[in-house]
Amino acid sequence: MLIHHHSKPSMPSRVVVIGAGGFVGGAIVRQMGLDNIPTVGLTRKDVDLLQPDAVDKLKGILQPTDSVVVVSAIAPAKTVTMLMDNLRMVEAVCEALASTPIHHLVYISSDAVYTDDANPVREDSPRAPTTTHGMMHAARELMLSASTAAPVVHLRPTLIYGVADPHNGYGPNRFRRQAIKGEPIQIFGEGEEQRDHVLVDDVARIAALALSHRSEGALNVVTGVSTSFKDIAEIVAKQFDGTVVSQPRPGPRPHLVHRFFDVTNTYKAFPTFRYTPLENGLELSKQGGI
Amino acid sequence: MSPIIGYAGMTHLGLNSVAASAAHEFEIVGFDPDPDRIAQLQKGVIHVNEPGLQDLLTAHGKRLTFSSQVESLKKCHVVYISSDVATDNEGQSDLGGIQDLIATVLPHLSPTAVLVILCQVPPGFTRNIPFSSDRLFYQVETLIFGRAVERAMSPERYIIGCDIPERDIPSSYKTFLEAFHCPILPMQYESAELAKISINCCLVGMISVANTLAELCEHIGADWQEIVPALRLDKRIGPHAYISPGLGVAGGNLERDLATVCRLAGEHGTEAGVVQAWIDNSRYRKDWVLRILHSYVLGNTSEMRLGILGLAYKEDTHSTKNSPSLALIACLHDWPIQVYDPVVSSSVLDHPSVIAAGSILDAARDVDVLVIMTPWAEFREVKPVDLRQAMKGRVIVDPFQVLSGSECTALGFQYYSLGRPLLDQVANS
Repeated sequence: MLIHHHSKPSMPSRVVVIGAGGFVGGAIVRQMGLDNIPTVGLTRKDVDLLQPDAVDKLKGILQPTDSVVVVSAIAPAKTVTMLMDNLRMVEAVCEALASTPIHHLVYISSDAVYTDDANPVREDSPRAPTTTHGMMHAARELMLSASTAAPVVHLRPTLIYGVADPHNGYGPNRFRRQAIKGEPIQIFGEGEEQRDHVLVDDVARIAALALSHRSEGALNVVTGVSTSFKDIAEIVAKQFDGTVVSQPRPGPRPHLVHRFFDVTNTYKAFPTFRYTPLENGLELSKQGGI
Repeated sequence: MSPIIGYAGMTHLGLNSVAASAAHEFEIVGFDPDPDRIAQLQKGVIHVNEPGLQDLLTAHGKRLTFSSQVESLKKCHVVYISSDVATDNEGQSDLGGIQDLIATVLPHLSPTAVLVILCQVPPGFTRNIPFSSDRLFYQVETLIFGRAVERAMSPERYIIGCDIPERDIPSSYKTFLEAFHCPILPMQYESAELAKISINCCLVGMISVANTLAELCEHIGADWQEIVPALRLDKRIGPHAYISPGLGVAGGNLERDLATVCRLAGEHGTEAGVVQAWIDNSRYRKDWVLRILHSYVLGNTSEMRLGILGLAYKEDTHSTKNSPSLALIACLHDWPIQVYDPVVSSSVLDHPSVIAAGSILDAARDVDVLVIMTPWAEFREVKPVDLRQAMKGRVIVDPFQVLSGSECTALGFQYYSLGRPLLDQVANS
C-alpha cells in the first residue's frame, strides 16, 4: 500500500533518471517529457555505476530538490557475477545518497522478489525470491531504503513488453518478432501458463504518478489480468496474419503454472489510472514496431 | 432474598446487560463515571442503537437506578465490570479504561460482594485483579450487535471463569445466573477467557471458509447460495453456521480476538498461521466491492455518480468500526457519492463530494451505480422497479443479495453479488 506525501499531484521540480538508456528508463524519460517535467536522464555513458568515479559523479549531479528514479540494472541477473555487479551498482547510488539529501526516490524493482507460490500476489506477499534476479531486486530495495531519509517507493513490475525491449524472452516480444519475420509463433506445449504482462508505457505512467504524489511504500505494476501464452500468441498471430505452432518444452513444465496479481492497492493509490489491456498494448506495439 | 446486581460501565455491553437483568426482575444499579451519560440515561435517552433495548429499559425502568456516584454500588451483592473495551485498527485492546474502572469500583464494594469481569479481556487478565479470588469471576459475553437484547435475555449458556472451578459459586451470583435457565459452565479463569476467543475463532473460521469458496464460485460458475442449504443440513456444520459470505470481519470484537491469538502465539511460540490467514482473508474480502467497481463498472473517468446504501458495519447497529462501507468510500474520492443509512449520519465520512440522502430512493436518484453495503431490513423493502425509475444508470452492486438478483436482472440491471458467477453477471451486462 502506498502513502502519498502529496495527496494531490504536484509536479516534481526535477527528476533524475539513473538508467535512462534502458528500455524502462527510456520510457520513463519520455513520460517525463510528455508531462513537461525537467528531467536529467543518466545513461552509462554519463555515469557508469561500476566505475570508481560513479559516487562523486552522482554527488555532483544530485540536488536536495531532486526526485530520483533508479532503474539501472544488468537484467536479468542470471549469474552470481551479474547479481554482484548489480549490487555494486546500487551500492554506488546508496553511497551518493548517504551524503546527498534528495526529495524522493523511486526504485524500479520487479515481481521476482516474491515467492513463487504467492498467488494471487499482493504487495504484502512474502518476499522470498527463488532466483538471483529476484534476490538482486530484493536486496536493492533494502539497500536503497536504508540509504536515504527521503520517501522511497518500490515499483515492482511484472513481465514488461514493448517494441524497444532488448530481450527476447518467451512472450509478447518474441512472438511479435517471430511474426514480423514471417515465422510461426512458437509456444511451448499447450502454452497454457497464464501470466500478467504490462506495457512499458504503463510502467512509466505509474512511475510518473508515484513521482507526482511523492509516494512511499511498494506497489506492484501489474494489470491484474493474466493471459495464457497461447492466447497471447494467437492475438499476435491475428495481428500479423501469422500462425501459432506448439513446440515440445525445452525442459519440464515450470512449477509456476499460473500467476495472478491482486491489484486492489493500485485502485486505492491511483483510482482513475487504467492499465492498457493486453490486446490494445500489443496493437500499439505493432503500430510502433512496423 | 433476591440479590441486587450492579453494573459498572454503561456502554453497549453494560446497557444490554442492565436491561436483561432488570427484565428478570432483579434490582439493578447502573453506574458510569460519566455524569453526562448517566443524566441522559436517567431521562430515558440511550446512546446506542440496539433493537428492543429502549423498550426493555422503559418496561423495567422501575427496577433500574442509574448513577454516576460509585458509592451507589455499595449495596450490590454482585457487581459486573461491563464496559466495552476499545480497540485500535489492528485489533489491539486498550485495557486502560477498564483497569481504571476496576480501580474506581473496588474500594466501594461491600465486604461480601462478588466481582464479575464481563468485558472483553485477554487470558490472564482476571487472575491479576487484586481481589479475593473466591469472589472474583470472569463471565463470557457473547454479545452480537443487532441481537444483543435477545442474547442477553436468553443466553445459550454461561461460561464462568473461576479461581477454583470445583468450589461453589457464591449464592448471590448463583441465584442470579440460575434465573436465566441456561447451562452454567464453571472453568478456570484462563479457560473461560480463552473460551470467548475460541468461540470467535470458530466463527471467523467458518466465515473465512464461506468467503474463500464464495469467491471461487464467482469464477467457476457455481452459486454459493445453492451450496449453503446443503451445508446447513450436515450435522457437523449445522443450521446456524456462519457460512454466509461477507465483506470481511468487522465491528472490532472478532478482530480483537484474532489479534490476541496471534499475540499470545507469538509470546509462547505456538503456531497460529491459520489465524493470520483469516485476518488476511478478511482484509482481502473487505475490498470486494472496490474490485468489482474497478473491474466491471467504473471507467477511467470521474463522471460516474454512485449511490451508497448503508454505512454501519452491519444491520441493526450504529457501529461503523472497521465498516466495509467506510473503507470503500475512502477509496472513492474521485467520484461524487450519495449516501443513506437509517441510523448512521454521513457526517462520519471524509469525502470531498458527498450528498447525505434522506431515503433509499433519494440516494438512488440519478446515480449511475447503486451499492448496497449494509443489509438493513429497510433496504429489502425497496422495489427494484422504483430503483430503475430513480437511477440514471443500470448497475447494482449488492454483495449481500438484499434485493432479488433475478428481478434486478430482468429489469435490465447489471447485478453483482457475493458468491454468484461473475461471468453470468458480466454476461448479463
